[in-house]
Amino acid sequence: MAQTQSQSQSQSQAGSGSGANVFADYQPLANTYDELYLPGVGSQPSRPRPNVAKLLEPLVRMGADELAHRSELAHLSLLNQGVTFSVYSDSAGVEKVFPMCPIPRIITANEWDTLERGLVQRTRALELFLADIYGDQAILANPKIPADIILGSEAYMPKLRGIDPPAGVRIHVGGIDLIRDGEGVFRVLEDNLRCPSGVSYVLENRVVTKRVFPELARRCRVRGVDTYPARLADALRSVGPSGSGSDCLSVVLTPGVHNSAYFEHTFLARMMGVMLVEAADLFVDDDKVFAKTTQGPKRVHSIYRRTDESYLDPEMFRPESMLGVPGIMRAYAKGNVALANAPGNGIADDKAVYPLVPEFIRYYLDEEPILAQVPTYLCARPDDLAYVLDHLDELVVKMVDQAGGYGMLMGPQATKAERDEYAIQVRAEPRKFIAQPRIELSTTPTWIPGKARVEPRRVDLRPYIVSSPEGPWVLCGGLTRVALVEGSYVVNSSQGGGSKDTWVLEDDDPDEPEAGRTLIEERAEEC
Amino acid sequence: MLISRVADHCFWFGRYIERAESAARTLGSTRETMLGAERAARFSWLPVIIAAGEQDRFAELIGEARAEHGEVVQTYLVWDLRTLSSLHATVRAARDNARSIRDHLSQEAWEQINGLHLWMASGDAREEWDRDRHGFYGRIRRSMLLLTGIMRSTMLRDDALEFIRLGAVLERANQTARVLDVHHHAITQDRPHLVLDNALWLGLLRACAGFEPFMRRNRGRVSGEGVAEFLVLERRFPRSLRYSLDSALARVDAIRSPSGPGARSQRHLAELRAWLLEFGPETLRDGRIHELTTHVIDEVHGCATDIARDFLGA
Repeated sequence: MAQTQSQSQSQSQAGSGSGANVFADYQPLANTYDELYLPGVGSQPSRPRPNVAKLLEPLVRMGADELAHRSELAHLSLLNQGVTFSVYSDSAGVEKVFPMCPIPRIITANEWDTLERGLVQRTRALELFLADIYGDQAILANPKIPADIILGSEAYMPKLRGIDPPAGVRIHVGGIDLIRDGEGVFRVLEDNLRCPSGVSYVLENRVVTKRVFPELARRCRVRGVDTYPARLADALRSVGPSGSGSDCLSVVLTPGVHNSAYFEHTFLARMMGVMLVEAADLFVDDDKVFAKTTQGPKRVHSIYRRTDESYLDPEMFRPESMLGVPGIMRAYAKGNVALANAPGNGIADDKAVYPLVPEFIRYYLDEEPILAQVPTYLCARPDDLAYVLDHLDELVVKMVDQAGGYGMLMGPQATKAERDEYAIQVRAEPRKFIAQPRIELSTTPTWIPGKARVEPRRVDLRPYIVSSPEGPWVLCGGLTRVALVEGSYVVNSSQGGGSKDTWVLEDDDPDEPEAGRTLIEERAEEC
Repeated sequence: MLISRVADHCFWFGRYIERAESAARTLGSTRETMLGAERAARFSWLPVIIAAGEQDRFAELIGEARAEHGEVVQTYLVWDLRTLSSLHATVRAARDNARSIRDHLSQEAWEQINGLHLWMASGDAREEWDRDRHGFYGRIRRSMLLLTGIMRSTMLRDDALEFIRLGAVLERANQTARVLDVHHHAITQDRPHLVLDNALWLGLLRACAGFEPFMRRNRGRVSGEGVAEFLVLERRFPRSLRYSLDSALARVDAIRSPSGPGARSQRHLAELRAWLLEFGPETLRDGRIHELTTHVIDEVHGCATDIARDFLGA
């Protein structure tokens, strides 16, 4: 008992620390939804949102020195755990730590409940769309669906029509990117149904935040993420070709050690307890896939492929590819191997198809979409084209077959000359363009090491959805990416983005005594 | 050949090293899982106290009701020198035994255990405990693993090392049985819930350093029976009961001279191993874990008694 009391004293001192209180002058941005803070009104300063104020208490009271120490601890942790990504350069890949802000991004139980239902709904509809478009194509008879947009897309692969994937699953792992607008409404920004990456950061970030913010984690009662590998292993097994049963051999297929996501490939293989293979470790015989092992060839039933589909099989896609496994698509077409995710999924996450997804949900499920989207104008439609050309100064215009910000017009920031020139391109080939209003991405408090203070920074969220024949399952949390550069809207790691751990609260309003305890009691409880 | 007293110190040195590593692992992994939402609801710190065999003393010295406070339990099980089971007391006991067998230990092995002991007794350990609990437990775990590795690669393969290893593997069987028993009890006391249970089973695996080996052995398939079977019967997992007993038997075989004592220990260990192997996956499914672990804990104690009578001058 005596020890515990002295414990609480020393810890409360450590907690307040020296240096200025890092939240003292935290001010949300104008016209932007801050997820944890309400802006100041008149002479009243900004303050934490009431539903999270109590949870945040230990953080809000923290001194700059203390937070700096914890941020450093987080960085060292990631370095020691080997959580790195490779940066392509002239020589061999250089390994870097994906910068991580130790302050978690918090999503309440209520918010999550809606998101979860919405993500399940959307994934089910996209799965049905893929089955349809590579099957009977019944939806094309729907007058609201422009067939030419779908069939004319480069992502549509007519060669795959009529091939049923094992157990009927195509989107084994989905990543659906979400943003929050100025009012705080979650909106789908894009779907990633081919090879979404980043889930290893979700699991590793959790290890780190538990280490550096134990008192906060305990207070918030955060839902766990560590069953993900077992879920994915189950899903891979559940789609193994019939007869493989409990002998189903799953592997993770990586392009190799120089791939930027190599760490994640090794991580998932290790966590699932399955072999990590490269294409050269596999071969096809009698339309079945085998791995070359020390005990001779071993039949492979289920492949979590982290290679781009165009490099999957030189027989079917790119003849010049040295990376593929010749004949693997024949094995797939015969139902002898499951490929996760299925080739051809790109048609469902195409930029020009995205605005049609709400219609897919109505068509296939007879439900109204739960999740909002970003309003999108398809320039292929004459009405939309006219609107876009009239409102170029308000819109962000993107080319459907480009990613990463290339070929994009940021209307509000562009000059009149730039807009006029862009308009000529759009008129020439309208079907290649879509347009969206610029969304004021939500912000959340972020530690800025250079300034030794906390400032608002914009974030997005990528939740992960794992599907088996029983349907989709959503990982509680996801990868929060944060634009660390002041004023930036770009969260990509290549352009100054970092990550945060995403905490989904178990319960918004816990009525257990723990939630009502004072800070000092709390600190005495858990370091 | 060794002086029985020296063999006794070697045996207990091995046991304390293993006990300290296991305690640091269990405390660390319990703390981490208690930070998540699933565990907090159904699991408490009480099982950790029970696994350490400290239920009565904790009730007497601290008070039963305090068992739900993680910080109180950790402080007790790490720092309280009134119990020989605390981590601090265990490290000290390991070092005291090491001091009695300094002539048998390599210099590097001695420096390692002595260094850890000095660190535990210094303000540095307290500071790390306050500032980075995760790092604190990690350091103790790694110190013990390093010590084991140093002994393996710097010491003569003689009876001193065999007795140290014998102590370590018997303690390991004991620890695995205890951790399995209390986790199993905590997990099955309510109506099972699949997702929740998986998270809890994974926590048990982490407490036994078995997460990655288990996933590899079972290709990611998690079930309660699978985890229990793995920790009890897996012949290639160095912390399973079976592996520990196999290893103990091999140590006794290596130590024993044909005409010398040791038959009693050998027979006892062999009987326990044979008894264990009669459990198949099906019988584990019938909820006989508690029966099994209780028997193993009792019989490991019995084997240790026989070893003491055969070799250690008891």
